[in-house]
Amino acid sequence: MNDHAANAAELSYVRVFAAPRELVFRCMIEPEHLTHFWGPAGMHTPLENIKVDPRPGGVFETVMVNDSDGSQYAMRAVFVEVIEPERLVWTDSDTGVTTTSTFRDLGDARTEVHIRQANVPVAFRSQQAQAGFSTSLDRFASYVGAMSGDRDR
Amino acid sequence: MAVAADRLDATFIALADPTRRAIVARLATGDATVNELAGPFTMTLPGISKHLKVLERCGLITRTRRAQFRPCHLEPAALDAAADWIEENRRIWRERFDKLDDHLRDLQQPPPATRKDTAHE
Repeated sequence: MNDHAANAAELSYVRVFAAPRELVFRCMIEPEHLTHFWGPAGMHTPLENIKVDPRPGGVFETVMVNDSDGSQYAMRAVFVEVIEPERLVWTDSDTGVTTTSTFRDLGDARTEVHIRQANVPVAFRSQQAQAGFSTSLDRFASYVGAMSGDRDR
Repeated sequence: MAVAADRLDATFIALADPTRRAIVARLATGDATVNELAGPFTMTLPGISKHLKVLERCGLITRTRRAQFRPCHLEPAALDAAADWIEENRRIWRERFDKLDDHLRDLQQPPPATRKDTAHE
C-alpha cells in the first residue's frame, strides 16, 4: 500500500515517543487522552466534543477551541482502517485528506509514530515541478524536502 | 487557523488529479490556450476543457475573454492558499505531538494523587 500511496506524494511526519506502542495507540483513539494533546499550541480540545468510534466507518470528530478568542475548528472524519495497535487510517469528511498513522514498536518502550497524509497537492515535487514555478511551489519543494528524509523515494 | 473552507476544498480536489496538476505546472511557465495545453496529453479537447473548468471554479486559473483562444492563466494566490494549509497542517501535527509527548510522560510518571489521566472506563 505504501507504493500505491506514494505517487500521491503524501505529507509525512514522524515522531518517536518514549512510551509503549499500546499506550501511544490508545492515546490516539481515546477521548480521555485526546483531550490532552489534540489541539495544537494555543488551542484546547474539550472532552465532551470528541467522538471516536474506532472501527472502519466509525466517526472521528473533534472540536478545537482557540484559547484566546474561543473560536472553534471542527474536524469531522471517518475511520477507514483500524488495526490495533499498529495502524489508523481516517479520511477527513470536509477536505478529503486521508491520514494514515502507523505505530512501530522500537523496543525499550519506545514507539515511532508516522503520520502520512494523502490527497494533498504535494505532488508538485514530481517531474512536473519546474524551475520558474511560483513562490508556492518553491515552498512546497522545501517543505517536501524537509519532510522526506525518513523514507525512500 | 481558519481554513477558508469551500474554495480551499475545491482547490485540493482540483489538485488531486495528476492531469490537472500537470496543467497547473504548464501554466506556471506562462499562459496557454486550450490547444496548447492539450498538446502533451492524450486527451480530447473537451476532456481538457473539463479539467480547466474545475481549475477555474476553484480560482486556480482564470481565462481571459480575448478572442476565441481564451488563454489560461495561473493564479498563484490560490496556490498560496493551498501551501498555507499544508504548512499550517504540519505545524498542528508538530505541536500536537509536543503535547502528546508531555501527556505520555505524565501518564508514565503518575504523581501521587492525580492519576486521572490514565482512568478510562
